[in-house]
Order: sequence, then structure tokens, then C-alpha cells
Amino acid sequence: MITTKNYMYEMVRSELTWVVGEDYVQTTDSDKLGHSIDYYWVPELWHDRGEKLTPPDFVVHPANAKEVSEILKIANNHNIPIIPWGGGSGSQGGALPVYGGIVLDMKRMNKVLNIDPVSMTATVEVGINTQHLEWEIEKAGYSTMHFPASIACATLGGFIAHRGTGVLSTKYGKIEDMIMSLEVVTPTGEIINTLPVPRHASGPDLTQLFLGSEGTLGVVTKAVMKIHPIPESRKFHAFLFKTMHEAMSAGAKIMTSRLRPCVIRLYDEPETAKLIKRVLGIDKKGAYLVFGFDGFEKIVDLEMEQACAICREREQEDLGTEMGQTWWDNRYKFFYPPYMFHMPQAFGTLDTVATFANIEKVYWAMKNTVKDNFPQAVFIGHFSHWYEWGCMLYARFIIDEPPKDPHEAVALYNKIWDMAIRAAIKEGGVINEHHGVGLKLGRIMKDLYGPAFKVLQDIKKVLDPNNIMNPGKMGFQGKGA
Amino acid sequence: MHIEKHLDVINACRFCFMCRHLDPVGNVTFMEADTPRGRALIIDRIHMDHECLKNQDFISTMYRSALSAANRYHCVSHYDETALVLAVRRDIVEAGLVPEKVKALAEELEKVSFTVNGKGDILYYGENPELYSNCMTISGRDPGKALEVLGFEKESKKIFGKFKSAVTDSKCKTLIVEEPSAYDFLKDKFNNVKVIHCSEYLLSGKVNTGSARKAYYLDSDFLKNYDGNISAPLELLKKCGYEIVPFGTNSEESYSIGEGAIIYDDLNPDLCEKLCRRVYGLADNLVKDLFITASRYVKNTLKKYNSQIKIISIEEAVAQKKENK
Repeated sequence: MITTKNYMYEMVRSELTWVVGEDYVQTTDSDKLGHSIDYYWVPELWHDRGEKLTPPDFVVHPANAKEVSEILKIANNHNIPIIPWGGGSGSQGGALPVYGGIVLDMKRMNKVLNIDPVSMTATVEVGINTQHLEWEIEKAGYSTMHFPASIACATLGGFIAHRGTGVLSTKYGKIEDMIMSLEVVTPTGEIINTLPVPRHASGPDLTQLFLGSEGTLGVVTKAVMKIHPIPESRKFHAFLFKTMHEAMSAGAKIMTSRLRPCVIRLYDEPETAKLIKRVLGIDKKGAYLVFGFDGFEKIVDLEMEQACAICREREQEDLGTEMGQTWWDNRYKFFYPPYMFHMPQAFGTLDTVATFANIEKVYWAMKNTVKDNFPQAVFIGHFSHWYEWGCMLYARFIIDEPPKDPHEAVALYNKIWDMAIRAAIKEGGVINEHHGVGLKLGRIMKDLYGPAFKVLQDIKKVLDPNNIMNPGKMGFQGKGA
Repeated sequence: MHIEKHLDVINACRFCFMCRHLDPVGNVTFMEADTPRGRALIIDRIHMDHECLKNQDFISTMYRSALSAANRYHCVSHYDETALVLAVRRDIVEAGLVPEKVKALAEELEKVSFTVNGKGDILYYGENPELYSNCMTISGRDPGKALEVLGFEKESKKIFGKFKSAVTDSKCKTLIVEEPSAYDFLKDKFNNVKVIHCSEYLLSGKVNTGSARKAYYLDSDFLKNYDGNISAPLELLKKCGYEIVPFGTNSEESYSIGEGAIIYDDLNPDLCEKLCRRVYGLADNLVKDLFITASRYVKNTLKKYNSQIKIISIEEAVAQKKENK
């Protein structure tokens, strides 16, 4: 961190101001505070307990790739960390300026540049808020079909950085399936474009290299993404199963029989009792399974009938379409206060993905680890984002009264993560499906990848020789305090 | 401190991002501080350490808020972040920390008197008395709302006292209010006088339809987000034969360029111009299309930064139909 009393601070500020203009270099206490905390529990706790946060030295808002390039060259010259920032709503601490430096707030780059109705693609600056993006695309008569709970909070760049996903991922894919190509400013300031189509045999796919790189390999400035027609029909249905296992077998059968729901979500018994009751008002004992189909109505009806038949082969209570629709209508409500877990509670989402053969083993491994080692914690989970081969486990632990001392609280928090995630990895689980790695899980990357992690480290070293890009994230080298 | 009464809002908003896309100021400055979360974080810091109230950056951020209630309207639990900002502004004023510019504006707002003309039992408070031939009129500037939103509670009450005396002395039974901010301020303040928005009064009377005309309606932050989305303005325009087209890309954002802060353009002209430019940018055809707004502030401010925009108030929209007839 550059001390504000040092004249170098003014030297760097002058250089940045020359590139983006005075209005777009922020050094106020107000903005630094907002950029010191994202949606990661640890900085929230730090703030809550009145502890000192690490602010950025500068918050800079570039207008285009050329300005980003100039800023990266300045940062390289002075060896200053660059931390790309979108909406700041990441839960992994990926956008935190842990070593100070320049927060590159991308929200000024917020335009939809082109909509191509022939190929059904949109070219977009990635600082755009994803709700704004969806509204703009809808006005043109299409949809991105990207409906994450954080649609109103995050930018497209944030989703690209962390391989984010939306509710309709089962049919429309995660962000890495939605993106056709990218414009990227490399750490040394070159502006490059990846190949314009996502399917090719011209070597490894650079688009996929930058997707999920969390700002450690460069700054994504523009994306071409798929857009879709507004479906004629979208319908939902819900069932209640006695056990999560029964519900899981129904969900897996729907997927492995190659039906194509747009969404499936399965809540375990504790989460059904806790959240489904509280948020949706459905007071039932068991495991709540909801799914939906969209597209042409005739096809929707046919697929829905087949999926319902699969469920009815098992012991269940048919909750009908209304209790399915209720879930869809309230799908974001779970994340608003007071429904979302909040301080003083300690809470974490143990996001894990695995094949159908392993997913229940992963669930039980994590659940038992938390139960056996941390009796003060409650474990709940639901399975979202289902694919032909497996699904994601959105498991959560909640501690109502974590230790008062923030250091002790963080130590406990990290210990739960360390043990639960390592138990999941042992059973074939992968961290993670859509939240990213960030600061939170960097230390586990070596365990997850094994010797393959060196490949990622080598790529990072080549692309970013001065390690200016988001140091200390994703398990990569830090900058030194 | 006044902020102590809003601890639920601080706790709900300080780590919540769910409405950030609707903050008009955040959408043009791109600053985290200019979102409900950013402001709640700052106020939380002030709550933890009262010395932080003196921080000039924090004070400036609080007076940069456009006080749009679109965020509260959007929130599933309707946490009132605007009330929190108003509370901290009162704390700033009472601590004697108010910026000179704000102080000067407040002093100017205190120089007001109210005069009633005419006879009857309906009193009109607005700028188009020709539409209300059988009504008394009351003239005078803001009745205290602007001072209230700047944090000058005592001074606001004093001005309202003057307004109330004038209204009471007129012995009117109904008060028709044109400007949405004044309507919001006055609607619950009288026991024996019914306060209605001008659109409600005009809707209850005879209006001329004339030929159909397409127009974009720029909703008022007050009428929509503060006052329960009253339906009279749109019903009136439809009754007058206007074919109303939704403005922008969605129905949630406030396009009222700081109306919630009453004198936003006087307080933050550069920012206000940015808010206006965002609205111009969302228009399909700024020069050819017709825009109608319930707020005189919105009309005048949008015209100020681009004289080519064709924007009229609801009352003018009704009057035009009369003329066309």
C-alpha cells in the first residue's frame, strides 16, 4: 500500500488522472470503504466488529479497453496491485484489495454495443449490471436467460471472472456456456481478442482460459454472448419426497433420461423445514423438489408429463404446479434481508459439484464433518444446477453465535471450510460450481488440483511477470504485506 | 443520534447488494458509496464511532444521495434506506457540520410566505390555476419539504407552520397539490382538510379526449415509490386520449433525476446533469417524442440540460387537450 502522505501517491494519482480524467479516480474515504468489503463473510465480520479494513489506494473507473491498458502499464511500472471490481457482490473475497493498490471498478464500461439477431448474440461491455443487461436485451425482444440470485448486484464481468451461473443453468448453461468470445487486456497491457466462435479445433480455447481467472490473468473488457428467444411457455411443478435420497434419485433420473428441464432444485429435509417454510410459506416435512421446463408449450407439456411420471414412480406428495410457481416467483427472495443469513451469524456456502455417483457421498461427508466436529453449527443444503452427469450441492453451515473475538471467529470459520471442503474433495467433489475461489478458498487449490496446479501457476507467471493482477487470489502468490 | 432509530435498516442494508441496480446516482457515478449498501456502511461506521460524522467525504456522500425510493419499493422487506439518509442528515445539521452550500440553500428556502386568493372551499397549490377556475389558490414556494430533506427539521416545521396557517385561514375543505413532493409532504398533515394530488381532482371532472397521441410517461418518484404508486396520473392521461408508452427498459428504475431530494439540481448540478443525460440516453427519440411527467421539477430540470426535449406536466397535458378541442 502506498501511504497517502508519500509524494509517490500524488505521482501515481496524476498518471491515473491523465488516463481516465479527474472524476474517475476516487480516493475518498467513502468510496474506499465500499471497496474494502464485498459479500465475503470475513470482511463483513471485520467491519461489524469495528476492526480496520484494508482499503484500496485508488478506485479507478476506466471507460474502455485502451484506458484499462494504460492503467495496467502504469501499475506494472510502479509494481502496484490491480484488483478488478464489478458489482462487488462476490462471496469469495475475490475483489478485495488485500494489498491495497488500484481497484479497477469496471462499472463505467456498461454498454450493449450490438445485438446480432441473425446469430442471436450480443456484444457487451462487461461492466454492465446484469439486470440492466437483461432489461436491455428484453427490450430488443430476447433474453440472456441468465437469472442468478445476484442478477441485480453483479456485473457481467463478475460472472465471467468467477464462472457464475443463473437459475436456468440446466438448459441454458453457466456463464462459460453463454460466452462466445472475449476481449481481454493482458497484465502487460496488450488488448487481445479470443476466437469469435466457442467451438473450434484451433488449439486450446483461450476464451475458457480467461473465464474463471478472477482477474489474475488480465482484465476482461468485452464479451460476445448468446441471447435467446423469449420462450412461449415456462411451467413448474413441485413434489415432496420423504427423503432426500428418493428425491435425488428422481432428479437424477430426469437428467439421465435426457429430458431437458430449464431448472431443477432439491432442498434437503432441514432446508425444506427452515427456508422453504420461512420464505415460501410451504410448511411440509420432507425434501422439496421443484423443476421447470420452458420453450414451445407443446414440448413443455410433454416433457413436464414425463418428468412428473418419473417422480410419481417414487413415494412422494404431489405439490402441483402452484407450489412450483411459488418457488419461481420468489426465487430471489431467499437472498434479501431478513431472509438471508446475516450478522452476527457466521455462515458459509460450501459450494461443491460432483457426479451423480458421488454427489450424495459428498453431501454426507460434509454434513457429518460439520456435525461431528462443530456441534454449534447447523448444516443445510440444496442441490441446484443439474447437468446430464451430476449436480451442484449448495450446502451451508450457520452458527448463530460465533466467538466475539474476530480472530477466533475467523479461525473457526476457516477450520469448518478446511475440514468440510477437504472431506468433499475426498469423495470426488470439486470446489466449486459457481462462486469461484477468491481469497476464501485459495489455500485449497493445491489439494484440489495436485501437480496440475503448477500449470496454472506457470501460466500466471508468463502472463503477469510482475504479479500485479489480483495478487493473493485463487491460491496464486501474494504481494507481501 | 437520529440514526439510532434506524438500526434495523443499517443492519439490513450494510451488506446487501440486492437493490444497487436502482440507485440513480450509483448508476452514473459508478461509485460503491453511492448505493444503499455504500451509504449504510458509512452510517454504520458513524454509528460505531460518532467522530466519523465529521468526515467530510461521508457528509458529502450523504448529500449526494438522490433519495430515490425505488430501492425501498424494490426491496422485498421495504427497508427504508432513504429514511436512514434523512436521519443522518438531521444528525449532521444538529451537530453543526452542515456544508456551507447546504446551509446557504437552507437559508434561501426559509425566505418564503404564502398568500391565498379567491373564495370557495377548494384550495389549489400549484402553477396552473387556469385549470381550477372555481378554486382558491395559494401561492408560495416549497412548504417545508426541501428543508426537511436537507436535515433542517426545526426550520421545516416553521415554514410548514406558515403554510398551515394560510390553509387553515382559507377555511378550505380540500387542498389540491400539483407538485408530487409537496403532495407527499402535506398529505398526512391536516386533520380537517383533504389533501389530494391534482391528477385525482382532474380525473374526477370532465376532461377532453381529442385525438390520440403517443407519449412517454416519466413517473414521479414520490407518487410511485413514496406514495404507493397512485393510479390517478396514468388514468387521467389515458382518459385524455394519451397512448402511454413505458419509458426506458423497465418499470423499476426511477427516471426522476433527483426529485426525491427536491432541490437536487441546486445542490449537485453536475450530478444532476449526469442523471439527465442518462434519461436522454434511454429515450427512443428525444427530439420527436413527447414526454409527460407529474413533477414540475423533473420537467424543468430535463429541459434545462437539453432544451430540445418535448416534456410537459400532467396539467399541461390536460390543458393541451382542452386547447386542441
